Amino acid sequence: MRIQGEGESGGAEPWEVAAPLVRAAQDGDALAMDELLTLVTPYVTRLCRPIAVTDTADAVQESLVAIFKGLRGLRDPQALYGWMRTVTVREAVRMARRTAVEQPAAPEDLVRPAGLRADRDGELSADIRDALARLPVRHRAVLVLRELEGLDERTVADLLGVAPGTVKSRLHRARASFRKAWSR
Amino acid sequence: MNSTSTAYGPGDPVLRLRVMAAGLRAGMYAEQRIDLPYDRVWAVASDLRAELPHLVPFLREFRVPPGDGDRVAALAVGMPGLRENFTVRLAPGWCLMQSRLVVGGMAAVPEGDGTRFAVLGATRPIALRPAQWLYGHLLGERRGRAFVRRVAERAQLR
Repeated sequence: MRIQGEGESGGAEPWEVAAPLVRAAQDGDALAMDELLTLVTPYVTRLCRPIAVTDTADAVQESLVAIFKGLRGLRDPQALYGWMRTVTVREAVRMARRTAVEQPAAPEDLVRPAGLRADRDGELSADIRDALARLPVRHRAVLVLRELEGLDERTVADLLGVAPGTVKSRLHRARASFRKAWSR
Repeated sequence: MNSTSTAYGPGDPVLRLRVMAAGLRAGMYAEQRIDLPYDRVWAVASDLRAELPHLVPFLREFRVPPGDGDRVAALAVGMPGLRENFTVRLAPGWCLMQSRLVVGGMAAVPEGDGTRFAVLGATRPIALRPAQWLYGHLLGERRGRAFVRRVAERAQLR
């Protein structure tokens, strides 16, 4: 898992920093919940931005509401980031679909999109975001999870609720469409 | 904490309080525009010692040091003589107050020449204790709207 921009962690893994805050927040400790909100917002924002390109603020807000509403049901605080990713991707895709104009992409080749790389802060350049914005939402989601989050196809399939074969074909089209959008 | 460190999107404590309301299953949450400048509204909301007894029914006194701070100890004294310790986080546009039993929150952002103001009240998920009856009837949207109205009235006086 590649997690960036979670704030000051003093060298500890982000889920180790988050775990005591999660437990306290689950007990209704509002101050801990507030600190957890500060900790996770950059991660949620980073996931939402490339998927819900034009609705990032709404996607972040809806994701955070869903995450904090569901927090009491999270049994293992160490699983926080994986669980947040599931919730956030679902909300970001839902938000992006509200405004997206879906267009079928012509399959070309399977070359990995060289442009799709985050900088050290986990942020995508405006050019990349612009290219992503021209892709159908389902392609954006699969590209973000596979290329930026580095997840394997089975995990991406589980996250998006589709068959692994569907991820493979979407990824093929997504890479082709990204290359096309990137080269414009 | 300040308004930029709490920010996502354009930086909005009111949106943040909405998330907290969802997480805390807040029994009271209200959000309204007040037609007064942010500085004037927040001057009331952040003056906890002087103003909170005017804003919260049955609260006689709220002893807290002045100014912003994180995890500041405070003491609430209720009308029947009930005392309860609170911990307070106060920053520009952002206030959380928490005891063993309840949580209160306020948030504000400038909106044009007015202010968007939000208030939150929640009980903590522990076994009901006798003192909680006091807070039960402080909750609800109607109570929230009344709170915002009182904030506006107090700000109008300044």
